Order: sequence, then structure tokens, then C-alpha cells
Amino acid sequence: MIVDQNKINEAVSTVVGYGGEHILNCVQCGACSAVCPGVKAGFPLLCRHLIRSLLNGNLEEIIEDSSSWGCQACNRCTEVCPQGVRPQEVVFAFRRYQANQLAFSTSSVTSQMNLFETGHAVYTDPREARKKVGLPEETPTSAFDEQAKKEIQTLINNSPMGALGLF
Amino acid sequence: MEKIGLYLGCNIPLKNPDIEQSFRKIFPVLGIEPVDLLGASCCPAWGTAPSFDLNTWCAISSRNITIAEEQGVDIMTGCNSCFGVLSEAKHFLEDSGRRKAVNASLATINRTFHGTSDIYHVAHVLHRKIGTQKITENLKYSLEGLKIAVQTGCHALWPTDVYKVNEENPFFPTMLRELCEATGATVPHYSRLAGCCGMGGMRSTDQEKSLGLFKEKIVSIKEETDADLIVTTCSSCFLQFDMSQPILKQRGLIDFEPIPTFYFTQLLALAMGFDPNQVASISQIDRSAVIATIQSEDRLIKEVA
Repeated sequence: MIVDQNKINEAVSTVVGYGGEHILNCVQCGACSAVCPGVKAGFPLLCRHLIRSLLNGNLEEIIEDSSSWGCQACNRCTEVCPQGVRPQEVVFAFRRYQANQLAFSTSSVTSQMNLFETGHAVYTDPREARKKVGLPEETPTSAFDEQAKKEIQTLINNSPMGALGLF
Repeated sequence: MEKIGLYLGCNIPLKNPDIEQSFRKIFPVLGIEPVDLLGASCCPAWGTAPSFDLNTWCAISSRNITIAEEQGVDIMTGCNSCFGVLSEAKHFLEDSGRRKAVNASLATINRTFHGTSDIYHVAHVLHRKIGTQKITENLKYSLEGLKIAVQTGCHALWPTDVYKVNEENPFFPTMLRELCEATGATVPHYSRLAGCCGMGGMRSTDQEKSLGLFKEKIVSIKEETDADLIVTTCSSCFLQFDMSQPILKQRGLIDFEPIPTFYFTQLLALAMGFDPNQVASISQIDRSAVIATIQSEDRLIKEVA
């Protein structure tokens, strides 16, 4: 394997920029992978192995891998890491790199649209179910609150998410 | 009565409002008044803003927190993901540079994050603020003889350095077990107690991997405890246990009947005598038999004269 320092620098600075600040603390002990439900379920590029790939200078090469989206965000890895890497932040930083390059599954677009339009990532019309259990048909949440929806849309429109052209 | 901001999230008010109704029924009886956080949105879920941009995540989370701050109340969430997302955002906002940037975003909607409201999970309020003794004192039916397998779920456990309330050992959680035991039920240990159920990002990314993880968990529960019911304090785990057992059964991957699953406050509301049509009526798995067992005449606790 040819190791290219420029590629390593690019991968590290990209991950650090997206929030994986402590990636260079990693000593590849694998404690994170030992407790990771995603690794256990069979996703190939999470925790130790993802960090290893990035520290070898692979970034674009692995952009299509969906493992990071299988991360449960459970933070078992953060709890056990003896080096303070906070591996979940590295996984999410890589996921943010993918997302900002629009390298994510189309199924994920629905949640972004739901969040933008209703303030809820998961949205189904709740009125009938709520009436049946004796609650007011409309939730006290953003779903039925025009001002709240406008606030959410302002925050998203003025963010890097708004610049992706999804909404 | 102590007030607390009831943060609903998405799945509970939209898909399982019977869980929301169970909160609204039990807490006032136990001395806590839930107040609505009007206009609160998604936390935002892990697959949305947290997957795109850290500061946008923090802005949407902190907008939710400011709604509680304005009313001078702490936040109580029933959804583990919401608990994790809001707690972590609050943790990130301890960084003064980030707080400044996020408050600049919030200024565009006339809000300011101060960091004065703490984030609690429903289980924390029940266990730490109300306490198991008060729960036992308010039961109408005793659940003695029923066997419960508990599922705490991930986001109430790790990472302990961002949460307001923690288990003594997050890899061996005891709070939910003690809450269930307060109803009189028996709660045996099983080896995959702290294991992930496979819901969340994993399920939407690769359903087969998610079901594989779930199968290991449910088989551990069945073989090691033979529980009458499963009780969780995570709305995502609830959905996985309720919808994926029938899938495994239909595919012939498990050879036992799906085990009825409840959110803890649904179980407690039933044990306190509330109407099952209001507090435990939405599920894939038929729960009518175990509900009838819970609310049967011979379980009535006699009033002490």
C-alpha cells in the first residue's frame, strides 16, 4: 500500500472540520469496535476500521460506503475509548462529509423534507389516533404551529443544509 | 406541584399517542405536573441535521430547549433518541465559541439559548424525583407473579459524561428493573440486557442487519426469562419489539408467539387503573390478554382502612 501524506492530511482535516476533533488520539486498540452494535451487525466500516481507513488517507475512496448511516449513535464507543477519541463523533463527521457531497440514500431525503415542512423527521397525520385515545387531535408541537414551522425553516435555510438544494 | 416541560418528540405524539396519554394520566397523580412545550419540533433526529452540520443540530435542539427556558422548567423526554440528541447538543453548547455561533443563528428567530433547563428522561423523573415507593403506593392492581423482561435502550445510557442522570454502571442498568419491581412484578436478568435492539439508523439503512441483531436479543429474552411481557422506556425500542417480532414469526425465524411489549408508563397506567383504550391501545401485537390479566379483580389491592 502506498501511503500519501497529502491524502492523510486531507482526510484528517475533513473529519476534524466536521466534528471528529480527536481522531488523531486513536491508537487502534479496537475497544470501540468490540462494543459497537453496527460492527456486530456486520457493517464493514465503523469505529476502529473506519478510523484506520481515514488515517491511511482514504476519504473519497470510501464515500459510497453506507456503514456510517448504520451507526446507531449509541455512544458505547465513546464510553469505552481509553484515548478520548469519541469515535461516534468521527463516524458522524464522516457521515457529514458524505451528506454534504450528497452521498446518502434517497430514503433519507424523506426525513429531511419532513423536518423542513412539519418540524418532525417522522411525520404521519396523528389526528384520528389521538382522538381515539382521548387527546386533542392536534399535537402541541410544530406540526400544527405555523410560527414554529417558520422558525425551523429559517434555521435550516440559513445553514449548510439549506445550501444543498434539497428543499 | 413541581412542573416539568413535556418534550414529546415525533413517534410518541404522532404514532403512539397512547404513550403520551399515559404520561398525562400518571404524572399528576404522582406529584409532577407536565406542561406543554408549545411549538417544539423534532429534537432533531440523528438522521437529519446531526448528519449534516453540527451547528444546525445545536440550533434546532437549542430552539427546543429555549421553549422550556422561557417557562422556567426543565425538560422531560419519553424518547431515548430525543434525550440523547438534546443532552449532547447542550453539551456541545458548553463550548463558548459554538454557543456564540448558535446564538447568532437563534437571533434570526428572536431566541437566545441560556442553558438553564436540564434534560431528563421519563425514567429519570420516575426513579429519581418520584421514587419507587410512591409508585407502589399509587397502584390499584398488583403485578405480583408477572414476569417482565426490561429494555432500557441505548440513548439513556451512553455517554455518561453528557447526561444529567446516569446509571451506576451503564452496561448493567438497574433503574427500569427497579421501576418494574415497584409494581410487584418479577424482573429476571438476561445476558443481552444491555444489547441494542437494532432500531434507528440501522433499521432504515439495512433492515436485515437490524433484524439479525434484534433476533439475538429476543431469543435471549425468551430462552433465559420466558417473560410474560417486555417493558421499555424507549419509544424506538418499543416500535422494534412490537413490529419485528411478528416479522420474525412470519418468516419462521422464531418459534414462539410474539411477546406483548409496553412502554413503562403504559404498564404503570394500567396498574394504576387507567382505561386501556386510552393508555395502551396501539400495537401490532395483540396485548388484550395480558391487559386483562393486569386489570383483573384478583389483583386489586385492598385499601387499608
